[in-house]
Amino acid sequence: MDAKMNRHLNRRDFLKLAGLLPLGVATPRLVRSLGASRLLQAGKKNVLVVVFDAFSASHLSLNGYQRETMPNLVRLAERAIVYHNHYAGGSFTTAGTASLLTGTLPWTHRAFQLNGIVAEPFVTRNFFSAFQDYYRIAYTHNGVANILLEQISEELDEWVPWKSLFLQSYGESIRNLFEKDSDIFSVGWTRNMNIKQEGYAYSLFLSHLYEALRENQFTDLKKLFPRGLPSTGDIVNDFLLEDAIDWTGNRLTLIPQPFFGYFHFLPPHIPYNTSLEFINRFSHDGFKPVEKPQDIFTEGNPNEKVLKNLIEYDEFLLYVDREFNRLFNYMETSGLLENTWVVFTSDHGEIFERGSIGHSSDALYQAQIRVPLLIFEPGRKTRMDIHTPTCAVDVLPTLSQVNGYNIPDWTEGMVLPPYADASPDQNRSIYVIKANKNEKYAPITHASTALIKGHYKLLYYFGDIERGIDELVKLYDIEADPEELVDLYSSQKDVADELLNELKVKLAEVNRPYM
Amino acid sequence: MTGTKTQLYSRQGLWSLFLMCAFPLHFWTLLLAFRDISWLTERSNLWDAIGVVSYGLLFAFVESLMVFLVVALLGLLISTKWEESRRIALLSILMFVLSLWAMYGQAHFVWNLSPSNWVLKLMAQSGHPYRVIFSITFIEVFLSIAVSTFLVLRWDKFFRFMQEAIDRISFLTSLYLVLDLIGLVIVVIRNI
Repeated sequence: MDAKMNRHLNRRDFLKLAGLLPLGVATPRLVRSLGASRLLQAGKKNVLVVVFDAFSASHLSLNGYQRETMPNLVRLAERAIVYHNHYAGGSFTTAGTASLLTGTLPWTHRAFQLNGIVAEPFVTRNFFSAFQDYYRIAYTHNGVANILLEQISEELDEWVPWKSLFLQSYGESIRNLFEKDSDIFSVGWTRNMNIKQEGYAYSLFLSHLYEALRENQFTDLKKLFPRGLPSTGDIVNDFLLEDAIDWTGNRLTLIPQPFFGYFHFLPPHIPYNTSLEFINRFSHDGFKPVEKPQDIFTEGNPNEKVLKNLIEYDEFLLYVDREFNRLFNYMETSGLLENTWVVFTSDHGEIFERGSIGHSSDALYQAQIRVPLLIFEPGRKTRMDIHTPTCAVDVLPTLSQVNGYNIPDWTEGMVLPPYADASPDQNRSIYVIKANKNEKYAPITHASTALIKGHYKLLYYFGDIERGIDELVKLYDIEADPEELVDLYSSQKDVADELLNELKVKLAEVNRPYM
Repeated sequence: MTGTKTQLYSRQGLWSLFLMCAFPLHFWTLLLAFRDISWLTERSNLWDAIGVVSYGLLFAFVESLMVFLVVALLGLLISTKWEESRRIALLSILMFVLSLWAMYGQAHFVWNLSPSNWVLKLMAQSGHPYRVIFSITFIEVFLSIAVSTFLVLRWDKFFRFMQEAIDRISFLTSLYLVLDLIGLVIVVIRNI
């Protein structure tokens, strides 16, 4: 435990580092000159994986979205490999993040329940174990993702404490009393005290008092965030993405090279509290998304609420864009970019359609599972567009290969084009799984699954007792019908049956160890 | 009513007052917490949902203590020419009235209630809708407090009704306190 603690950057470490600031100014240059020859010899470059939580690829103009939500990213993409059909492993943080970190799908890593952790073998089978001789650093704003980082923290040289990049709030000291149950405490505390968000709280009187106290805290910052400070959604976890970006940029210039950095920031995850600069940027632009009929998975939100949230999400993306651009500039001006692979991606998407908002829907529509992936290769000056379907599990083997490592035999991913030796398989099967109600170590009998193959996408739902779904199958042609409006299950039954059979064979295979 | 001065509070009186303060706070917490159980279970699991309810009960207990302290101190402002049971009844009904108003304020959001269109139209036409809302609310709250006070202090039949109500509610609140204890145990288990 002590050894583990020593590797985390605590407040004391941080203060020590702050004391070394004058030296730190000179360090990057020194490190660069010392490290450059070593890097060249070993052929290994730094790796920085930047995850913005709940970022749907459907909201990128790079993928045809009508709003320009990420103008800086679009500009930077001219030097990147842009993957247009990239899928998360799961549809919410635990499953999606674990897939990215382990290079395996949820039915293999088994972290498919909220707050879940990966199966024991993957504690030492992940990005950080694959990059053993790198300086491995990780941080996340997301408490659920932090559970995963905690589980594999033995593989990290620096696990940046979750709370270190949050603003200190009144509830913080109370939270410390319940540290071992911090997630559920946070939900309980929020339901008791957060009267502002929903208009009601468990507490009849204290919630008003607490709200008044909070109103007087961070008053200057609040002027810059009229919808509220960015937060995890509970009321003791306010943060500024600016702070996290500044800290990350500075830290990367101080740590030993080559480094492997995993930084998982919360925006654009709900609450969509964007900066003043971007408020109302899209509220009167006349954009009307395609109207989609509500289905069995609808959360029943009225259309006005869905559209309001959509605008706020898109405006929050502008904030993400500004801050990613700043991080990129840090990397460029410090010289790190020359020797660093930068990966821009997300753990899952977000939907604003069919009465659903967010990513808790069981439906697995495109907006919820398709995420951005851009790879900034050191020295690349031109853009390359990849339209072949790819998956989050591909990132680990790809980064392993390009940095001279053998591809771990436990990963389920493939090396991404253009780095793969063979030309990309257009008919590769991509799987996405949501099985948050299934027992962890049991056959998967209650899940939503998607199989993407070529231009088809098969959705297969089974075991959903609450909705009375024994089996439900949908088929879409996502090339001709990217909005998933026409279910082809009846009209193209042969295609659906073939894909369904393939999916069932796969399920039988992954269930075998648990039978 | 009595003309002789009595002691400020007896132990039994304080306990009754505490139970009366705890009742509406626990009632509201449980009402909302049980509404949350299904979606919490769906998104996480039943044990986590029970955890959230347990934290709710724990906070309700703490809030009850704090509110009780404030109410008991405010009770010192009431003349001791009224016997203790009548003062407790008065403080209890004031607590209930204020709690009901607080619940009413939140209920609009819980059940998506909104004033009828003609009321909204009328307020908008006034040119100062906020002033109108605050004035009406102030008058309503003031009147409800004044009427409650009058009824308890001046109408013996109502006072006796209050005493009976306090007895019955005390029993119910005692059950809530047992739930608090269970909640505390759950919170401790979750934090071991």
